[in-house]
Amino acid sequence: MKLVEALEALEQNLQAQSPLLKVQLACGFTPLHLSTFLNAHLRIQFPEHHVEIAAGLFGDLAGNLERAQSADADAVAAVIEWQDLDPRLGVRALGGWAPRHLADINRNVRDQALRLGDLLEKISRSRTIAVALPTLPLPPVAFTPGWQAGAFESGIQEAAAELGARLAGSPGIRMASAQRLDRISPPPARFDVRSDLAAGFPYSLAHADALAGLLARIIRNPSPKKGLITDLDDTLWLGIVGDVGVENIAWDLDHHAQRHGLYQQMLASLAESGVLIAVASKNDQALVEEAFQRRGLVLPRERVFPVEVHWNAKSESVARILQAWNVGADSVVFVDDSALDLAEVKAAHPSIECLLFPRDDDKAAYQLLEDLRDLFGKQALSDEDAIRLDSIRAAHVAAESAPSGGSTPERFLQEAAGKLTLNFEKNSADSRALELINKTNQFNLNGKRHTEASWKRYLSDPDAFLAVASYEDRFGPLGKIAVIAGRRDGRRITVDQWVMSCRAFSRRIEHGCLLRLFEKFGADEAAFDFSPTPRNGPLQTFFAGLLGSTPERPFSLRREQANEKSPRVYLEIRESSDE
Amino acid sequence: MNDVQARLSRCFLAAIPGLNRDEIANASVQTVEKWDSVASVTLIALIEEEFGIQIDLEALDRLDSYRTILDYLNALPPRREDSAG
Repeated sequence: MKLVEALEALEQNLQAQSPLLKVQLACGFTPLHLSTFLNAHLRIQFPEHHVEIAAGLFGDLAGNLERAQSADADAVAAVIEWQDLDPRLGVRALGGWAPRHLADINRNVRDQALRLGDLLEKISRSRTIAVALPTLPLPPVAFTPGWQAGAFESGIQEAAAELGARLAGSPGIRMASAQRLDRISPPPARFDVRSDLAAGFPYSLAHADALAGLLARIIRNPSPKKGLITDLDDTLWLGIVGDVGVENIAWDLDHHAQRHGLYQQMLASLAESGVLIAVASKNDQALVEEAFQRRGLVLPRERVFPVEVHWNAKSESVARILQAWNVGADSVVFVDDSALDLAEVKAAHPSIECLLFPRDDDKAAYQLLEDLRDLFGKQALSDEDAIRLDSIRAAHVAAESAPSGGSTPERFLQEAAGKLTLNFEKNSADSRALELINKTNQFNLNGKRHTEASWKRYLSDPDAFLAVASYEDRFGPLGKIAVIAGRRDGRRITVDQWVMSCRAFSRRIEHGCLLRLFEKFGADEAAFDFSPTPRNGPLQTFFAGLLGSTPERPFSLRREQANEKSPRVYLEIRESSDE
Repeated sequence: MNDVQARLSRCFLAAIPGLNRDEIANASVQTVEKWDSVASVTLIALIEEEFGIQIDLEALDRLDSYRTILDYLNALPPRREDSAG
């Protein structure tokens, strides 16, 4: 983006009722064009929002971070440069580069890194925070020649790396990737000494643009894709199994097929990170099962579900897989070496992300691995990630075990031995709760979504409550499957959000949640901020059962009404805490 | 309006919030209230980016109006890629 384009983008006005996103840009230099680019990139990432950027005082990053703690900001973008760790590492101070100064600079850098780390961790408890560690080259401070790494530079870089490792391990902090920045903003073109000396702004425009884009993306934190559907022949392995035979398919260096092995390795890594992996292949089923028994396959067969192997159109396989996973096509990536099959799937499922497996191009295959990491990447793994596949398999088994037709029989529910656990701690750092609110469509009170910032703000209201429900039964655990958020007012509660994963349907979990909610807060009445959406039919059906008719707008429900109209709940319901 | 004028006008509109298109030709530090130090730095950065030049530090002080900046740009020797082909 050019500076003129960024400034012009800021002139475009949104509707007055658009929500406001306030971002505090904390840096030690004049924010100037970085602020402009950050604002423009945030508008791209948050098209429905008004964006306001506030900046602090020149030359006082630590003070700016102190003030950011009490500032009325939804998110903080903290940009640390060497001069913030010691002014002598910039070009605007003349504190001395003599050899006798080096030890003191090193000490000061370490002290300041600790201080900044403490401040950033404090801020992260209440706000989304994006951090960039020094992006500019170190000035020629030390006595070693520029082509040689000396102890001074290495020590300074070690201090920054230690700060990075510390911050990257903090749950509320997201770091800009130095490696990605190196790619989009080549290091030699970043520093503008003329601008730094004249205006206190050390970045070239191109670097300011690149860094701002990265920070805006980190603040946005896009949801990762949930599932990957892969082809087999010439994709998961080299060779067409029906032609060359099971023993001759390959994925290793010896057969010039390492790119397929690397792809398997990536899929195995994704599977262990909670990504669903399925197969859609036009193939012979028996041969495929035999191929999956080959020793040395990097992607284990048990990590793949479902496996759709037949000779029909792949779009049919994709439809069945989406149904088994119970996720939308927009959360899924389809990988195939056939452009024709990709086009056929895309035509039937327009929102699916289709990627070509480049069977003859190592460089493009490596790029595919990087793209997959970007599409599925997440900051941390959760308990749900570990059990997702088992949970879906369990739901599949449960669905097959349930008698077909009519309402779910009492005996089946009774024998399922369901356990519902409700956690009422207002933990705004629980990313699963926010993920459920922003991803769930069918059992969703009103379709309203939250940003990380608005979610933290909502929960900071002392009257607000949060209930996160987990479920397991004899078929296995489903993990965290429902979220209820609302406010208490005496003997009345208002429910602002209620979502439940469709994997948890047909177990009367919603009835169990509602009854426990009345009990927990000693409430006589609950108001629901209901609003019909094109996809929340299952929720409407649930409430129609309690109200006698389908609701059309916000409504209230009395406790005795809920007790009287709810069917028998066979769940063992208990409470838990984060401890 | 020639190409240089059109590109320079775009820089002015981007750098100085609220400036009207018909005010540009007569714009100067003295006549435009919002042409402050931040607008000046932004305007110079925009011009350097748009025209692919680096403005001499000595020239900065006298580039205080649309007219002086336009004259400065018109006096620059043609760049190789501008004159090619």
